[in-house]
Amino acid sequence: MIRFEQVSKRYPGGGAALDGVSFALEQAEMAFVTGHSGAGKSTLLKLVGLLERPSAGVVTVTARNLRQVRRRGIAQHRRAVGMVFQDHRLLLDRSVQANVELPLVVAGVPASERAKRARAALEKVGLGGMEQRLPARLSTGEQQRVGIARAIVARPAVLLADEPTGNLDPQLAVEIMRLFAEFQAIGSTVLVATHDLFLIKRIRKRVLVLDHGRLVDDLAAGEVAA
Amino acid sequence: MNAPETRASAARGGALARWWRAHRWALAQSLLRLREHPLGTLLTVAVMGLALALPLSFYLVLLNLDRFGQALGEGQAVSVFLQAGDAQAQAQALARTLRGEQTVAAVTLKSPRQGLAALAALQGFGPALAALPDNPLPWVLVVEPRVAASPSQIAALVRQLRADPRVALVQDQGPFRARLDALRGFGARVMQVLAALLALAALLVVGASVRNDIQSRSQEIEVLQLVGASAAFVRRPYLYAGLWLGLLSGVVAVALTMLLEAVLAGPAARVDAAWGGRLGLVALDVTPLLALLLAAAMLGWLGARIASARHLAADEPA
Ligand SMILES: Nc1ncnc2c1ncn2[C@@H]1O[C@H](COP(=O)(O)OP(=O)(O)OP(=O)(O)O)[C@@H](O)[C@H]1O
Ligand SMILES: [Mg+2]
Repeated sequence: MIRFEQVSKRYPGGGAALDGVSFALEQAEMAFVTGHSGAGKSTLLKLVGLLERPSAGVVTVTARNLRQVRRRGIAQHRRAVGMVFQDHRLLLDRSVQANVELPLVVAGVPASERAKRARAALEKVGLGGMEQRLPARLSTGEQQRVGIARAIVARPAVLLADEPTGNLDPQLAVEIMRLFAEFQAIGSTVLVATHDLFLIKRIRKRVLVLDHGRLVDDLAAGEVAA
Repeated sequence: MNAPETRASAARGGALARWWRAHRWALAQSLLRLREHPLGTLLTVAVMGLALALPLSFYLVLLNLDRFGQALGEGQAVSVFLQAGDAQAQAQALARTLRGEQTVAAVTLKSPRQGLAALAALQGFGPALAALPDNPLPWVLVVEPRVAASPSQIAALVRQLRADPRVALVQDQGPFRARLDALRGFGARVMQVLAALLALAALLVVGASVRNDIQSRSQEIEVLQLVGASAAFVRRPYLYAGLWLGLLSGVVAVALTMLLEAVLAGPAARVDAAWGGRLGLVALDVTPLLALLLAAAMLGWLGARIASARHLAADEPA
């Protein structure tokens, strides 16, 4: 469950990246966040993942007011949230498998199980057999999928994806979205930032539309004109 | 597909198993780190090892100088000459009292006859002594102070003896003892200061090394924080790295000191032989060596702890 109440975010020395945004996402709901470049999509996801804090308003995730989450709580919160980053954020000098295992290492999962789950996650994003490669030697789209595998490997209660399909061909993009929908089906709350209208139309989910930091539209699943 | 991870199922195997896994990972990471920069590791260990070897070597030298001083001080027993003509009983009574003193290790009685025999043994004295009608020598008490007795305690004993009416003369090397003692104290203080300064230097060396490591890994640190690593988790590999650096430097320091020992063994043996083997020069015990290893490891850990506290960015979203 994700709830925003009159949330604004102003970066130091910048304008309002988010301006009075309110919405609520139920548990096991999946939604897209869309809008022009600079509309505030990444900022919205960062507030959910506690990478940033709002300048005003209240963000609640899985029944916890994030304002009250401090220090140790931040790490704990991030372990419950899987994030796909717009800029991947991979460790380029570690193998693909080591990258994907990282959330499991942090969560204290035994090594044998880590390897098994990392392999399964890589399989799901179509990177089976690439475990020992270095991310630096992968294509951008492959790197992106390593990031996706890392986000899903710990089966997080909340899945956040920032332009996860920006470098993928349409076919692969749809497959990744179906994968996210599977997570929704088993109870994860999923929030995907994208400006890919084709994808939004193909995958019929709720759509939050941002414009210069304001939430200007909130379309229920199926409401998007095909 | 399984349901989203709840905290309970993530904790499989219990807190202890998770704790151990986290430490094992940090340990492996720390070793990888040292191996990744073999030259830097070597340099850090060499510098730190040298810094730690110095006070240890100084300690070794001091230990032997102390033996040397003790050997020199051996002839420094207090000789108490009784009034001529005093009977044996009186000498024995005084000896008994002295043996009861806390500062006294041993008292040897020398009778006038023994004194005469000793004199007679000296070349040329025999005939002259034989010409004497009477034995002019007094009873003598040779008082050996305890090693632990301070110069002022011994001086008090000497004063007490001089005041005794039975005593004719007290021969004492008080000033020598005081000088030796003062020098020993001075040496010990020099060693302490040296050890403190060099420990500080070692701390800075490890700290700098760990700081470099942290700075070259800012991206990795950020990613770890993004996937939910706690501050302790992020810090741990650096602490282990500091511990290894410290321990390795300790090994280097011990090796260097043992090398010094080996190099000095020959000359030291000759010195000892020249003193009739009475010096009993010593090698370092296992205890100070182990203590040094432990201290080195702790210094390494502490240096890493300080560096990580200063240079690991707090994971506090703004
Ligand atoms: N760290 C920052 N410091 C200052 N301003 C920032 C920062 N991050 C984002 N902004 C600004 O906040 C606004 C919203 O940025 P955000 O990254 O959320 O947009 P976005 O919708 O994700 O854009 P894109 O589609 O290009 O990724 C932009 O005007 C951006 O310049
Ligand atoms: Mg963005």
